[in-house]
Amino acid sequence: MTEPGSAGRPGPVDPDDLLAAYALDAVTDAERALVERRLAESPEARAEVEAYREAAGRLADAAPPVAPPPSLKSSLFARLDEAPQVAPLAPEAPAPVPASTLAEAAPAEAAPDGAGPAERAARRRWFQRPVAIVAAAAAAVLLIAGAIVGLNWGGPAGWGAQRDVQAIAAAPDAQTATLPAEGGGDITLVWSEQLGRSAVQAADLPDVGDDRTYELWYIDASGATPAGTFDPARGAAFVVLDGEFEPGLVVGVTVEPAGGSDAPTTDPIAAFET
Amino acid sequence: MTVALAVPAPLRAASATRRRAARSAMLERVDDATPPPATSDPTLEDLLVAAATGDRAAFGELYDRTATRVFGLVRRLVVDPAQAEEVTQDVYLEVWQTAPRFDPTRGSAISWMFTLAHRRAVDRVRSAQSARDRDLRIGMRDIDVPVDTVAESAEVRIEHERAHEALAGLSEQQRECVALAYYGGLTQAEIAERLGVPLGTVKTRLRDGMIRLRRLLGVTA
Repeated sequence: MTEPGSAGRPGPVDPDDLLAAYALDAVTDAERALVERRLAESPEARAEVEAYREAAGRLADAAPPVAPPPSLKSSLFARLDEAPQVAPLAPEAPAPVPASTLAEAAPAEAAPDGAGPAERAARRRWFQRPVAIVAAAAAAVLLIAGAIVGLNWGGPAGWGAQRDVQAIAAAPDAQTATLPAEGGGDITLVWSEQLGRSAVQAADLPDVGDDRTYELWYIDASGATPAGTFDPARGAAFVVLDGEFEPGLVVGVTVEPAGGSDAPTTDPIAAFET
Repeated sequence: MTVALAVPAPLRAASATRRRAARSAMLERVDDATPPPATSDPTLEDLLVAAATGDRAAFGELYDRTATRVFGLVRRLVVDPAQAEEVTQDVYLEVWQTAPRFDPTRGSAISWMFTLAHRRAVDRVRSAQSARDRDLRIGMRDIDVPVDTVAESAEVRIEHERAHEALAGLSEQQRECVALAYYGGLTQAEIAERLGVPLGTVKTRLRDGMIRLRRLLGVTA
């Protein structure tokens, strides 16, 4: 409980020092981005934040409870139809399904038992309906324009792709978004319209084995275009997407048979709207 | 600079004995994880997990059992009632949409919902008001508003009292910083400026305050 008056403390900010403030939402956007990259790579930091959040939840309960007007509930429920739910976290990576089967399959079969109609709709041939899947995923997206510029990326050093990712992140118009991946881990997308390129940084992704791989997709109204595959090392990866990035594209990530597919054969573990 | 917030005087003066009692009561509660089951009602976690499968009835019950708490928190930050309602509706929509991502092994349902609600409320406050406006508002308000402004379930009332007990366990300075951050939507730098103390001091107080709060609540990382 000492209180050293270490004023300003110049120099690099240690994200671990920001975890309590982060749980209180007392950070700036740049600090938030810093913490979230730390969270993506550190289970310890995530556990720490969870514990702070439980405590912060108690602060919420110190605010006097107030009953909202009854109309709030009815207008909320009126909006549910157009608010698809995100797909649940899969306990394990989804098994690959041949593309032809998926295209013909009844939508209900693609969804786990008990999935709501909205969710089934969202999952149906997702890559041909990018708007639907993104509407669902967007709720969880944190957009941090430009916040990544000038910050140091963590992850394996000396990886060639890491420098390429950094170059994109350093573009004046760079934007980033981070999503929790279904099945575990986090994926951060960084993109620059000026450079016409985008890249992902992944952390804590589960190992999908030798016979499967992660694949990236650029998706527009006409469908999904393969943008490269990657196999994380100890869950982490830096990958620049193949092909040209254009704003408005959706970037999807799926698990595919080794070597990659020409079209997605599984539901995305993450989908970003740009 | 004095700040008229945080915990009411009677609680501030709570004796060490009382705090110890409150602490052990809270520890007990956290240990058995689920709230005392007065009936076989589903827990909030049960309801959220059911809502994740598209179960609107479960979502409706979840709303009924949490709305006064969530709306209370949002109102605490976003003072304008119409805006607070808008934010609250968006919060519940996000709860509905992202419920499948809720992992009951990583935390409680209410804390997950409060996290979404607080974030949205802070975003609204920061975009809508200058730091100075927020300062004035915080200065004028006190979190000790009578609980019975609305007929409360025992669950809500008990949680409200527990929260006050926990806050009373912080030092005055920690409470001040934590309250400015959480109820004021201020960043660490804004708090430092407002209190006229170095940023490092604010960081220390926030961190120590939160660690203490965690300990009081028996939450371990």
